[in-house]
Amino acid sequence: MGLVQREIERLGIPTIGVSIVRSYSEQVRPPRTVFLRWPYGHPFGEPGNAAQQRAVVRAALKALAEIAEPGTIVDLPYRWRRETYSE
Amino acid sequence: MSMVSRLKHRGLAALATAFPALGERFAAGYRAERQDEGIPWAPLAKPLGASTIALVTTAGIHHRDQTPYDMHDHDGDPSFRELDLARPLDSLMITHDYYDHTDADSDLNVVLPVERLRELATAGEIAGLARLAYGFMGHITGRHLETLKRTTAPEVAARLKKARVDAALLAPG
Repeated sequence: MGLVQREIERLGIPTIGVSIVRSYSEQVRPPRTVFLRWPYGHPFGEPGNAAQQRAVVRAALKALAEIAEPGTIVDLPYRWRRETYSE
Repeated sequence: MSMVSRLKHRGLAALATAFPALGERFAAGYRAERQDEGIPWAPLAKPLGASTIALVTTAGIHHRDQTPYDMHDHDGDPSFRELDLARPLDSLMITHDYYDHTDADSDLNVVLPVERLRELATAGEIAGLARLAYGFMGHITGRHLETLKRTTAPEVAARLKKARVDAALLAPG
């Protein structure tokens, strides 16, 4: 994913990536990343949990707007299945 | 690739999904290629509320009437699929043996948050979701890495540029 992200950014389009394997992001060094220690196949959370999915999308967009240093990885605070998300 | 090794991949993928701590170990079997050159950088030109966002996924998503990703090549499939989000969401499906996509099959927003971004557009938090999204399968290794970096990823970047999207949100499987 990070390799694709780098090529998109290289052409002048700002990018944000959601990562669930921090070591990949550290190696591939995409411009902006939000990291979640969540299982594979669930970068935006659980099926049917719109509030959770929305929280991740919002956090990713916020990081897109706020990250100023290339290569930054923001560790999101959400624990897997141990959070309550408000609408 | 034999059916036995495809089943093995799926079994490992299900385990890593059930136990997130195993994910990093499972990931250790896949070597991400270290990128030592500089990090590309394009600043966000407009506020989010004025920005059209495009989705790019490496979760193995494609339309049901498109050719699935090649699961028999050990190095993966570096090709991409153009996903038309104006079509019904259930026109999309996932072909990927390296992660358990049972949950994503039941709610695609888990890997491709189309409906969440539409809600944010309605609320004015973003200007809109780009009609065309791009799908890759991820888990690319060996000889296909160069194809991805030199050919298919730049082609998707060029299409996004042509569509004049303001930013891209990428997510894996």
